[in-house]
Amino acid sequence: MASAPASAAFNAARRRLFDAVFAAVAPSIDPQLSRRRPGRDGLFDDIPESPEALTSPPAPVRWLVRATCGYSTLELIAFEALGSTDDARWQAWVARQLAPAAIDDSGCDSLLASAGFTTLDKTPEQLWAAREAIGNSNYYQRMLPIAETECATLIRQLHSQRQLFEVMASFWHDHFSVFGWDYDGGPLFPPFDRDAIRPNVFGNFRTMLQATCESAAMMYMLDLYTSYSGHPNENYARELMELHTLGAENYAGIVDDPDDDPSLPTYIDWQGKIQRLQYVDDDVYEAARVLTGWTISQSTWETRNDPNPGAFEYVQALHDAGVKRVLHRNFSAGGGQNDGTLLFDMLAQHPGTAHFIAGKLCRRFIGDVVPDSLVQAAADLFHQQWQAPDQIAQVVAFILHSNEFKTGWGTKMKSPARSVVSALRATLANFTPVPDNSPTYTPTEELVGRLQAAGQRLFYWPAPNGYPDTITAWSSTGALGLTLKLLPRLLEMHQTESYNNAYPFIVDVQGQTLGAFPNAADRTASNVIGYWCDRLLGYRPQPTFGVALDFFRQEAAASDPLDLVTDSTDNGQPQHVGVWHLNPPNTLSKHYTIARLRVAIGLLLCSPEFLRR
Amino acid sequence: MNAFNRRDFLKGCCVTALAAGTGSRARAYFAPPPLLPATATDDTLVVVFLRGAMDGLSLLPPGSASPYRADYEASRTNTRVPLSGTGAALALANTTWALHPRATGLRALYQAGHAAFVVAAGQVQPNPVVRSHFEAQSNLEFGIGGGGGNGIGWLTRHLVSGGLPANVPLPAASMGSITANSLLGSSDAITMNSGSDFRLDTFHWSWQNDDAAHGLVGGVSRMNALWGSNATLLERAGMETLDSLALLRPIDFNPYDAANNPDGYQPTGGANYALANNGGFGTQLRNVAQMIKLNLGLRAVTIDLGNWDTHVGQGNPTQSYDWFGNQVESLSQGLSAFYTDLSTAASGNLMQRVSVIVVSEFGRRVLENSDGGTDHGYGNVITVLGGAVNGGHVYGTYPGLASGELYEGNDVAVTTDYRQVISEALIRRMGNPNIYYAFPGYSGYAPLGIFQGADLPPSGFDQIFKNGFEAA
Repeated sequence: MASAPASAAFNAARRRLFDAVFAAVAPSIDPQLSRRRPGRDGLFDDIPESPEALTSPPAPVRWLVRATCGYSTLELIAFEALGSTDDARWQAWVARQLAPAAIDDSGCDSLLASAGFTTLDKTPEQLWAAREAIGNSNYYQRMLPIAETECATLIRQLHSQRQLFEVMASFWHDHFSVFGWDYDGGPLFPPFDRDAIRPNVFGNFRTMLQATCESAAMMYMLDLYTSYSGHPNENYARELMELHTLGAENYAGIVDDPDDDPSLPTYIDWQGKIQRLQYVDDDVYEAARVLTGWTISQSTWETRNDPNPGAFEYVQALHDAGVKRVLHRNFSAGGGQNDGTLLFDMLAQHPGTAHFIAGKLCRRFIGDVVPDSLVQAAADLFHQQWQAPDQIAQVVAFILHSNEFKTGWGTKMKSPARSVVSALRATLANFTPVPDNSPTYTPTEELVGRLQAAGQRLFYWPAPNGYPDTITAWSSTGALGLTLKLLPRLLEMHQTESYNNAYPFIVDVQGQTLGAFPNAADRTASNVIGYWCDRLLGYRPQPTFGVALDFFRQEAAASDPLDLVTDSTDNGQPQHVGVWHLNPPNTLSKHYTIARLRVAIGLLLCSPEFLRR
Repeated sequence: MNAFNRRDFLKGCCVTALAAGTGSRARAYFAPPPLLPATATDDTLVVVFLRGAMDGLSLLPPGSASPYRADYEASRTNTRVPLSGTGAALALANTTWALHPRATGLRALYQAGHAAFVVAAGQVQPNPVVRSHFEAQSNLEFGIGGGGGNGIGWLTRHLVSGGLPANVPLPAASMGSITANSLLGSSDAITMNSGSDFRLDTFHWSWQNDDAAHGLVGGVSRMNALWGSNATLLERAGMETLDSLALLRPIDFNPYDAANNPDGYQPTGGANYALANNGGFGTQLRNVAQMIKLNLGLRAVTIDLGNWDTHVGQGNPTQSYDWFGNQVESLSQGLSAFYTDLSTAASGNLMQRVSVIVVSEFGRRVLENSDGGTDHGYGNVITVLGGAVNGGHVYGTYPGLASGELYEGNDVAVTTDYRQVISEALIRRMGNPNIYYAFPGYSGYAPLGIFQGADLPPSGFDQIFKNGFEAA
């Protein structure tokens, strides 16, 4: 029987693991030492959160890293043209991004058109009919709507000029998280993205709330379509309160007679009525009754003959007509569909909702822990503007212009999906993901598969609470390890057939490098690695720059030109590797130089600086 | 190699030396040796979490002689497990409870005395019935009687207080993409979806690995230099990740195939991990068994099996549509393969020192709903499996299924705190008496007799901090 390997690396690894174990032994109950103390992580209590020793990139780079799907030199060049100071440029950049319709996105639109999607413009009725027609006969065709939505989203994140819009679309998809590959809901997914989320990304939360409820994908995710008088289904109502609006931070648990309980605070709402600030379990049950009869046409036996199958339908006969009571407010008998719209109004204007969502927004952009003063200020704005058509845009602008946003750095890390997209953006990848049903192993298939292994394939989170958004979650060994495995692979993947060297790379490292240094004498390790450091990171931090430089130059001096042109061939076909050169010593610098450059760039992508934000 | 004994290191001068450095408050609070158990064993504890609230009343329905059968049948029609005909429940020895017909593997293990069930088990503190999956899972896994506390899981606290020796390569594994809450906060745990996924192998082959003969140091080795600066938490996490990758790199986790993978893993005893559904669960169990056989020192493992949230279309075993039965079959076949594989290992019956505890965040409502499913409930079944388990019995006191006996008139009540089951395993199998540290706020240890092994006086770190946790 094999025993544990006893190499030097193993022993060193075990000593480091032990070291970490010892550090973890300190009692966890003292809040000063806790792993999750706000602002800190790890029981390594001598490791500062954002130490002075940490070099950070220039302000524009920091801001663009945090407010786009991935920093690139092109973004920086466009940014610099927007004004004469960084602050002025940032004002202009944010203002421009918050008016996405005015941004010319024809480049991205061309790519979307070239992808040849067939399901993304279909109405709910059309998608329903297609699903019914396909049935169990063809899984690929049945699930094509979600597969195309996934690819279209990636294309937009990679190539759209409306970057802040894509960042926020991703945020709202996590907030109203729907598992896209549900067998029944997946075929109906496109309208959820196209009609419920995207029109409201910078708009009004109240509008988005009801739109997501009425969307078939959400109906299936949380079983609302099957909730009717006498048998209300509590799943949607619970998540509506716990995840979509008030949040678990405002949950007071099971309380008998909550409206008479003096320990539960109340406030006066926009209609002058008393509402409870926290919700209890009875509110969930009553909210479930409120939303009975909200369903999808022909999704259940009761609606089997109704028109417009697949569209949202309110069925009065299925609605619980009795008196209801939610958050201390009375719902008179016979309220009909207005019960539901009143409930959405109550939740959208609730200050608890404002605080919960403001907190999530602040954490998405700034840090895993944000001062509550900032959260409350953003929440107040969210609450005041709850009926404004540009409510969300106002709150996002507020956060992006805050001091915490502009001066912070290193308090968040990129999640796997963000790491991949930002790597492809920074390297100007020529990549248009499309679904594929052929036997060919395409780069799209490889990418989504590896992203799934790293834990963050798009629309793949099985629970309605959405992907986590903290360093704690994404620095776990599995997620970080598989992200580190994924990133260097991006530089080796080929168009059309991922492992086929006959096709161009999705990232043309050689072409871009030769284009940046047309004069062969300039292709020194120092210049080339410096160039790629600037491209990917926006600056040249140590030790990362030094590690990549020393690796690339090998025994040559940093100022010696390296041969990035001479290549091996196989049957006349260039191999894109360089030439073998493991001859007598001191020639590693000539060994497979073209491939070595891609590995060096892979090292830059695997650096903490690239993953930090 | 530094073969220092961890206990000696901790009780010796090193503690004082460290106390002088930054963060000295932390080390100074470290508990003195008597609270570090000398009794720690090298057993492995595997915690299987059935995510989505498994319907215990369908896994373990009342049998024909059960006083609860009539109430059960009155409440369950579309989701009923019958006593005769197609899909009939399996009779169990020593009890009037029966087993879902598709759990044949679990039944065999039960009848052989290696599996046991605990009925009416669940969480009792502080808001007993939390009906949100996420919150209830979180409560159970953080184990502080409700809430996420400081974000450290009970299994982490067990590992920290459980006398882990220095020279253990891989103390804990969380199988999945994101660390299970019960292992959150542990720097001992490696989180991985599959053992064979977990290696760095994507740089170009020419510059990926080292070639010592030519002095070539490849990309994989260079990664350590990128992450070694210790500047922030992120760098530390990166170093831990790289260490874990290095540990697992030489191991072939893929299954044996005579033609394509002769160095692959071959389960013993004919164990078959290929499940018809939930294939990932089978693969992960196989990976865990392989790691246990490799003597990597695995002490704690978490594995998830989802898809239990049967609000709609739960199915029943009399018909071809039997969603819940598919899940039961996955659980039963997976655990059965795991038991077979480890009990027939070349080095001996390794199941003698492996215990499996299967939990879920809550049970499901007794009265089924009108969508052919069941809604969130309370009391549930805990399944226990191991070579050192007093199996072939059903433990716990059943409160009954009559409406007056139900919690809030709807759910199976809880009479056995889940912490009672786990703490018995921690003491009798893991040799860790610090159960009140693993479960702060829990008291009154009373073993049910599920696990073999000696009892130890239960303790925790609380006597040091009985006056609170403020800095002196």
